[in-house]
Amino acid sequence: MVNASKQLIAGLGVLMLFAVLSASCYAMDYPDEVEIDSLANLYEPVVFDHAMHVDATESCAECHHHTTGTEVINEYCAKCHTGTVEMDAVSCQDCHSADPVSPENLHHPKPGYSYHNDQPNLKAAYHLNCLGCHQEVGGPTGCEDCHVKTEAGDKFYRSGEFAPKEPAHSSEH
Amino acid sequence: MSKITRRRFLAGSAAGGAAIMLTPAKKALAAGSFEGFPDGMGVLVDLTRCVGCRTCEAACNAEQNLPEPAKPFDDTSVFDEIHHGQKRRTTDKAYTIVNRYEPKDSDEPVYRKIQCNHCNEPACLTSCFVNAYKKTPEGAVIYNEKVCVGCRNCMIACPFHIPAYTYHSVLNPVIKKCIFCYDTRLKEGRPPACVESCPQQVMTFGKRKDLMVIAHERIKKNPGKYVDHVYGEKEVGGTGWFYLSSAPFEEVGFDVNLPKKPIIDNVKDFLAIVPIVLTVWPALFTGFHLLATKGKSHGHGDDHSHDEQEGH
Amino acid sequence: MKKLETFGIKPHDALLKAEGQQWSLMEKLLLGLTLDQYIGQAFRNKLNWLLAIIFAIGIPVILYRFVFSLGSITHGSYDYPWGLFLGFGLFCMVPLSASGFMLGTTVEIFGRHDFEPIERLALLNGLLGYFFAVVYLLVDLGQPWRLSYPMVYSFGPAAVLFLVGWHVATYLSVQVAEVSTAFFEWIGFKRGYDFIRKGTIGLTVSGVILSTLHQGALGALFLYAPGKVHPLWYSAPFQWIHFFTSSIPAGLCMVICVSTIVIYTMKWRCDQRFIDNLDWITIALAKGAAMGLSTYLIIKLIAVAHDNEWAYLTTGWGAWWLLEIIGFVVLPLVILSYGIHNKLVGICRIGAFLTVAGILLNRLNTALIAFNWQLYQEIPHYLEFIVAITIFAIYVATYRFILARLPILYKFKPQAEE
Repeated sequence: MVNASKQLIAGLGVLMLFAVLSASCYAMDYPDEVEIDSLANLYEPVVFDHAMHVDATESCAECHHHTTGTEVINEYCAKCHTGTVEMDAVSCQDCHSADPVSPENLHHPKPGYSYHNDQPNLKAAYHLNCLGCHQEVGGPTGCEDCHVKTEAGDKFYRSGEFAPKEPAHSSEH
Repeated sequence: MSKITRRRFLAGSAAGGAAIMLTPAKKALAAGSFEGFPDGMGVLVDLTRCVGCRTCEAACNAEQNLPEPAKPFDDTSVFDEIHHGQKRRTTDKAYTIVNRYEPKDSDEPVYRKIQCNHCNEPACLTSCFVNAYKKTPEGAVIYNEKVCVGCRNCMIACPFHIPAYTYHSVLNPVIKKCIFCYDTRLKEGRPPACVESCPQQVMTFGKRKDLMVIAHERIKKNPGKYVDHVYGEKEVGGTGWFYLSSAPFEEVGFDVNLPKKPIIDNVKDFLAIVPIVLTVWPALFTGFHLLATKGKSHGHGDDHSHDEQEGH
Repeated sequence: MKKLETFGIKPHDALLKAEGQQWSLMEKLLLGLTLDQYIGQAFRNKLNWLLAIIFAIGIPVILYRFVFSLGSITHGSYDYPWGLFLGFGLFCMVPLSASGFMLGTTVEIFGRHDFEPIERLALLNGLLGYFFAVVYLLVDLGQPWRLSYPMVYSFGPAAVLFLVGWHVATYLSVQVAEVSTAFFEWIGFKRGYDFIRKGTIGLTVSGVILSTLHQGALGALFLYAPGKVHPLWYSAPFQWIHFFTSSIPAGLCMVICVSTIVIYTMKWRCDQRFIDNLDWITIALAKGAAMGLSTYLIIKLIAVAHDNEWAYLTTGWGAWWLLEIIGFVVLPLVILSYGIHNKLVGICRIGAFLTVAGILLNRLNTALIAFNWQLYQEIPHYLEFIVAITIFAIYVATYRFILARLPILYKFKPQAEE
């Protein structure tokens, strides 16, 4: 099981939005589908329907903060990022490190750190963004609504064929 | 005063002296208030992010090689479990537990993860009579199972009801609790398994003092989102793991009546009298003896030579 | 035994037989009776039958605990790590055994040799109470074979329990030394007797020191759990004073209780000196207990006032607390005062029994009933009750065994009378 969780972490290092390489999605130059496979150990890769989400949202900034050139929504970001300038870095992993507490990240903060010191890691950036919105708009929120658990996942969560055999009893009397 | 009296006086003092030596260095106890190691690590737990997926419980189970759980870790029916009117708590088989709460003014449930809070000045540590516990410079509260006698005083002392006991072990029952993954991770500067596994980054790992700044910034940056309190900043002298919540802390299972001072401070009044009793009592009571028996026999009724001693 | 006395048989009570020979150890153990006589009286004794039943059930349960773990006979509760074994066994037995140091102080330090007839009973009561508190502790500890760790292997000197452990251990040896004088007399080891007698003052003074500290320390143990113990039973500055002051009436009243039981059930073993002096001694002890009790009551009220906990009195817990204070502190105080004033020994004895019950209630309240008042109340496992009762029965049996033999209730004579 130790292995499984290690792989989970290793998986985080894998960049996910590999199709998002274009400079601007504002110009409709964006991928229609994105395969996210960072958790591909415990879960099958997620095929993210980017086109559908573009249609469903009013602005790229709902997910992409100030990076796509659309008007900045978040008041805190807007304090500095006033203009509608497209950034080179658009995809999530360009800014959200997979492992922000790695020794090098801890000791060598990136420029602008003082305002971005509370950045979620990549996995959290996805989940906080997706799940946060899904909860608000009533989208799917269950883990397996988005990604299908693998055998390694069942083993990790002790579910499916790895579920406890004993009838459920509590450790307390 | 007779010779016997003098000798008895000395015997009394000697016994008192022996008693002092028998209670070694009554202490280190006045250790002052310890604020924690300056570079100690901590974890900021933001309850607003937790969705109750229990991945942290699964990760803990795997990392610590804990026994098979009663139910799968993706089974959310555990949130409805009630024992003695209480929600689930940490056990010798589960060092971290997530519980669900329904605060009054919230439509959404709030989930709260519990585990050892790794206090700056841990009550468990100060209550342990074999000194099994240790607060490491890295910030973890760890313990040495090899000296645990099993008095369970630390379970009494812990204000967060965290340490558990392997009651069903015959030959080697010991205390069990979260150790911040000290042996396998923290020692090498890596975050504990639960923190790393969390999909929502409910927990942020870092130096305690840095995280405290971030915690207050989050409150400031998101007006109205959080209760303006960092639970664990001051509670029982400060804890290594501390919490942000959108719901009042008392509604999501926290004890909000805990003292701000370390638990040991309650005991210091008593510990302070120990040296006084040890030094003053022998003199006082031997003095009483001399006064009370002045001019009387110093013998004893059971002593058959009682009558002969009458002459002193 | 009473029956035998009517036949003119007298128990062993002197160094030499009436004929001038030494008693053999076997004869001493059999109280100077023949084996048939001894077995006969043992079978006639109803208490023996009761004890036999308790042992038959309880001793297998104790063995079961050591073979199948503590969790097999308790609920194994994480929220109530201390159950009956400590709640009753340690926290109740220790204050009830405070008699040793108090009578020791009275007789040896204050030179009140008129209390001597009861001194040894008080010392024995202290020794056995502590000893069995340790027995309870051994049953409760997860790894009793590591009991010596805080003494020799791994020190936690900042812990209150460390102090309790050290003091109980040292005090136990002090008490063994104090009571050993009776034992040395009994086996006829004059030099040992003389040796211990010389150190009496030293032993007594260290007894006072150790007692003051660990009686208080037992209270201070709960200072680790502010929030868990109900505020009415918790007071950071006063907790140790409560435990210490209440141990004074507890110990004195326990001696009254034991002497009452003894005078009604073991009169054959008491000598005339004990019988003649018991009434005024009982009243004198009651006087001491009443003073201790009133001090305790006042400090108890001061603590409530100091922490401003009056509001709690209107709650259910407040009612329970008032019952403890009025029914088991004020009421016995009134009864004792009435008994003392009118020199009524029987009334004093009733007051003493009530006081002892009050101490039991107080300690159980602090350790178990009002503990975790914000969580839930737990009723210990029935096997836990059985073990607790069994150990208490062993305590009673040991107590009686020693009282019947050693010169506790009687003065050892150089030679038996015809």
